[in-house]
Amino acid sequence: MNAIPLTWYLMLAALLFVIGLFGVLTRRHAIGALLGVELMLNAVNINLLAFWRHLHGTASAQVFVLIIITVAAAEAAVGLALILNVYRVFHTVDVDEINLMKG
Amino acid sequence: MSPTLQYAAFFTLAALILIPALFVVVSRNIVRAALWLCACLVSVAVLFLVLGAEFLAAIQVLLYIGGIMVLLLFALLMTRRIGEPDVRVVNRQVGWALLGCAALASVLFWMLRGERWPVARVAADGSPAAMADALLRPFVLPFEVASLLLLAAMIAAIVIARQEPGE
Repeated sequence: MNAIPLTWYLMLAALLFVIGLFGVLTRRHAIGALLGVELMLNAVNINLLAFWRHLHGTASAQVFVLIIITVAAAEAAVGLALILNVYRVFHTVDVDEINLMKG
Repeated sequence: MSPTLQYAAFFTLAALILIPALFVVVSRNIVRAALWLCACLVSVAVLFLVLGAEFLAAIQVLLYIGGIMVLLLFALLMTRRIGEPDVRVVNRQVGWALLGCAALASVLFWMLRGERWPVARVAADGSPAAMADALLRPFVLPFEVASLLLLAAMIAAIVIARQEPGE
């Protein structure tokens, strides 16, 4: 699709990033916030691949995207383990009620 | 393909990405939100294909939908009763969050609108062979660090989620 300008891809990624950010900021369910983080990471990947397609022919952007997906997998595994442990202690995953350290 | 057809295809794909993404953040049922995220990730994989990165599209489906989403759904099943709609899905800062996100979106759009990129017309090589070449020659150190990171994350997840015998 050569007729699509680079800016459109970047605007699509910006919208996806903002939607994900809204989810992270407003979700009360801890896993819901993680879903928002996944959306934001995908927006970054779209950005990187759009730049890769339109600006340079080197494969470095693809390697970046691969490493971002790897880090997302690691983040999801550790984050979900933390959420399971929080659920075991507090019997809830509502981030508004996990306020033990609030003064 | 004619430009009009390409525009139509792009906007259809954009809608297929953004509408599921909206449902991910506003859906009342968290399991449905996770399933909407699956739909969004499939559309993003199609966008990767359109951009010419077929290997990454396959990785997106395999790793995100096959791995991360299954992990998320398992965690959902373990932490809440299924079918019980959440009483209130958003917290008290929803107004400020909406305002901040709208402001960020407008700033990003305003910046992107005036930008002129030095677009190259060379076709980028998205074949798995070119990527493997890059991964194992100039990027071999990040590649090994990523494997170490995965090992550390795996051990950390096991240690954190393990139930202590005394509890």
